[in-house]
Amino acid sequence: MIDMAQPLLEVKDLVKYFPVYSRGILMKKVVGQVHAVDHINFAINECETVGLVGESGCGKTTTGKLILYLERPTSGEVLFQGRDAIKTFSKGSGEEKMRLRRAMQMVFQNPYSSLDPRMTVFDIISEPFKIHKHVSSNEWKERVYKLLELVGLEPYHAERYPHEFSGGQRQRICIARALAVNPTFIIADEPVSSLDVSIRAQILNLIMDLQNKLGMSYLYISHDLSSVRQISQRVMVMYLGEIVESATTEKLFDRPVHPYTRALMSAVPIPDPKRKMNIILLPGEVPSPVNPPSGCRFHPRCQYATSKCSQEKPVLAQVDVDHYVSCHYYHKFI
Amino acid sequence: MNILDVQNLKTHFFTEAGVVKALEDISFTVEKGCTVGLVGESGSGKSVTAQSVLRIVPKPGKIIGGKILFDGEDLLAKKEDDMRKFRGKKISLIFQDPTSSLNPLFAIGDQLADIVIQHDRVKKDQALEQVIKTLKVARLPDPEQSLGQYPHQFSGGMKQRICIARALLLNPQLLFADEPTTNLDVTIQAQIITLLKDLQRDLGMTLVMITHDMGIVAEMCKCVVVLYAGHVMESGDIETIFEKPHPYTEALLKAVPRLDQTRKLTSIPGNIPNLIDPPSGCVFHPRCQYAINICMEKVPPLEDVGGSHFITCHRWRELQGGR
Amino acid sequence: MVALRRNKNSEKTMKRGASQWAVAWRRFKKHKSGLFGLGMVIVLLAIAALHTVIAPYPARPAPDSFKPLYEGEAAQPPSWKHPFGTSVMGTDVYSEVIHGSVYTVYVAVTVTLITMLIAVSVGIVSGYLGSYVDDVLMRITEIFLVFPSLLFILVFARLYQLRNPEPFWNIFGINVPAGLTMVIVILSIFSWASYARVIRGEVLRMKETEYIQAAKSLGASSRWIMLRHVLPNTLSQIIVLGTLTMAVAVLLEAAVSFLGFGDPNTITWGRLMEEGLQDLSTVWWVEMFPGLAVFLTVLAFNLVGDGLSDALNPRLRE
Repeated sequence: MIDMAQPLLEVKDLVKYFPVYSRGILMKKVVGQVHAVDHINFAINECETVGLVGESGCGKTTTGKLILYLERPTSGEVLFQGRDAIKTFSKGSGEEKMRLRRAMQMVFQNPYSSLDPRMTVFDIISEPFKIHKHVSSNEWKERVYKLLELVGLEPYHAERYPHEFSGGQRQRICIARALAVNPTFIIADEPVSSLDVSIRAQILNLIMDLQNKLGMSYLYISHDLSSVRQISQRVMVMYLGEIVESATTEKLFDRPVHPYTRALMSAVPIPDPKRKMNIILLPGEVPSPVNPPSGCRFHPRCQYATSKCSQEKPVLAQVDVDHYVSCHYYHKFI
Repeated sequence: MNILDVQNLKTHFFTEAGVVKALEDISFTVEKGCTVGLVGESGSGKSVTAQSVLRIVPKPGKIIGGKILFDGEDLLAKKEDDMRKFRGKKISLIFQDPTSSLNPLFAIGDQLADIVIQHDRVKKDQALEQVIKTLKVARLPDPEQSLGQYPHQFSGGMKQRICIARALLLNPQLLFADEPTTNLDVTIQAQIITLLKDLQRDLGMTLVMITHDMGIVAEMCKCVVVLYAGHVMESGDIETIFEKPHPYTEALLKAVPRLDQTRKLTSIPGNIPNLIDPPSGCVFHPRCQYAINICMEKVPPLEDVGGSHFITCHRWRELQGGR
Repeated sequence: MVALRRNKNSEKTMKRGASQWAVAWRRFKKHKSGLFGLGMVIVLLAIAALHTVIAPYPARPAPDSFKPLYEGEAAQPPSWKHPFGTSVMGTDVYSEVIHGSVYTVYVAVTVTLITMLIAVSVGIVSGYLGSYVDDVLMRITEIFLVFPSLLFILVFARLYQLRNPEPFWNIFGINVPAGLTMVIVILSIFSWASYARVIRGEVLRMKETEYIQAAKSLGASSRWIMLRHVLPNTLSQIIVLGTLTMAVAVLLEAAVSFLGFGDPNTITWGRLMEEGLQDLSTVWWVEMFPGLAVFLTVLAFNLVGDGLSDALNPRLRE
């Protein structure tokens, strides 16, 4: 029995620094560090979709890869169903590792490069069976066709190669491949951003339908606030490797608190000519994560910044039920 | 007054796999001093339309029919030499990817000054003055300092500002912006949108905004042309189109998630058509929820339905009446 | 709503998908010079396979191969009876060139196999595993790259000659010329390095693609990913490089033999040219026809390589 109070996934103090090298004569020398993910904490419950939103280079994709151990974390913990996932991936037995791999899956951003061009769809979707051997080989065929049907593809598609499909269909194939191992948790990294506008809704609806049918949890990573709102129950906003605000979807979109979140939301154009935007223009660009600003990382672009912001690092404070903000002056914005 | 009048434009790509009918029958007008949105998905022909107007369609593409009237002059009848003088000077283009549209080997100042020198045959320092002035207009911080820098020293947003300055160098009357914010982050996109809006207002320029984002159109444009698979679905005022949309526009609006509301998304079934072998009749019929037999058999004409609203649909009137 | 025949049927008709190999072959068939090269290679293979039947005279050292000499026909210019003329020793150059084709094919195929085996293993392992494995393998590769390879090849070949070895080795019941095989091994050892670098670069690029990431997140082992994903996807590159290696191998072997460092017991085209060089002013045909054979063979492999390169790695993807 799983304890209901215990979240499915818990991330504690997760850190990833990428070393920056300068090439010496024989040996490489570390000259700096990219602070890709810097002490982040969050949890995801069963059957929940959590959105992770931020601009390019904020560390959202790295966070996903760290959870799946596709990148080795510098420090911190990832607990999956209460057990230490990083330890299992690095030191666990083969069987333990494989069980965890089956539990967590990822759908990637670019459906054009995430399918091996030399394999047929059948080979692609049955690859998990070959690796894990969790399904007896005489059941493969039936399972592949079931998965194809589940994601809305036709049986005759199995014999085709990826280059014969459109972007939306390819993303369906990727989802089928991820589902082949019956995961309980899926990380979807910008699954619709490289698709055409008229196709996006198909994939978003598919992702939501699958949750209703199969009951898995998602971490939905995206830069697109509108689709995050559509799909998530809870949203976290990331800026330069840190989570600056986290709340339930309704609270975040109705009453954003952090100045960055508010600027981000004001920048999204709404398809309605009667609602003109009221853009809060942020000066400059996202600073380099190699030498992130002192204190609050957002302070060089924040119009409310004071000297306190440049010296002291704010902590993630609770401002409401299920609403956390990392800002010294959050009480001003509530 | 219309600065641009495109009539029945037809551009095909003659590839090994077959003839790609990128533009089948494109007609629209652009009013002087106005921002017009050219909206469509990939393969709709929105970029090819801009390339056709400038006559820079890449091989194996060819303009095979139609008329493009710019200030009353037919651009398709012009000699290549005359056309070259037109580009940049009268009509200019901002590309989607600022990184690949700047030459990495030359400093910004030299790159931009060369354009002025080529067109206006002026001295280099005069040209550089013009460059600095234009970079200021595009709100690049420290334009004087930037002249000696190379493209890789700028961020994506700054590069796009440089590209905008490059497009404005010769004071063109008509500016095409081909998805200028697609590769940029949301906050940077907001900066560029604001910049383009201000430029259009202050310089009285005509701007054609090519995009797939209905939000940007709603924010920036006065008129819209909606393209799908090489055909104009509809064109008209932004308000009219959002109020009484073509079935395709309507479906598209229902399928995009919105920041200001959560609702059930109605997805459009099927995929974008293959332009080598497009559907018969109305190109949208295989994905249209209102399609009937006539939609499959007959290509609907572009009709004026009043209030300068043009529509290509057999059933639009009937559907509007039923509402 | 009226029921509609949606355009699904046309999609269903092309049932079986075309693999990239089928697509590449279709493209290669349109490549005229590539096809021409392929035709020449097939002719070469046919000559090599049927050399005992086609050649009018047997290969040296059979006494019959000196027949023209006994008939008083040494150093004859090309004629109907001796299309490529005869040498000073009285051998028929036409027959010798035909017999030599066997060695050419042997050199081309084996050098390529050995070279590619080393290059592909080093390239894929080094590129995919990275870190210290990559460092070590790449330093070794660089050592082989900075060697003046032709000099080393000649030195090793001469050292081998001086040991005066047995003329043939019996491998799996087939007599292979020992000296030539040593030349092949030496050539291979000195030519894999640059190919390993090319393949490593390709693997490095591929390592970042999402299908490799996807396989990793499915729990696939490094071995699985290298064999199932990386190798098949570098195969087109390997095939193109392999074809070009064949051309280089034929050329290098000819050079080694021509310089007198080859196997004294095998009459390869290079060896024929070396013999012809001594009497170049009088019997030019002994020099020219083997040279022409080398030229055409190298040309053929290069044409095929070019065609394959266009067919397998087109810049414009469909």
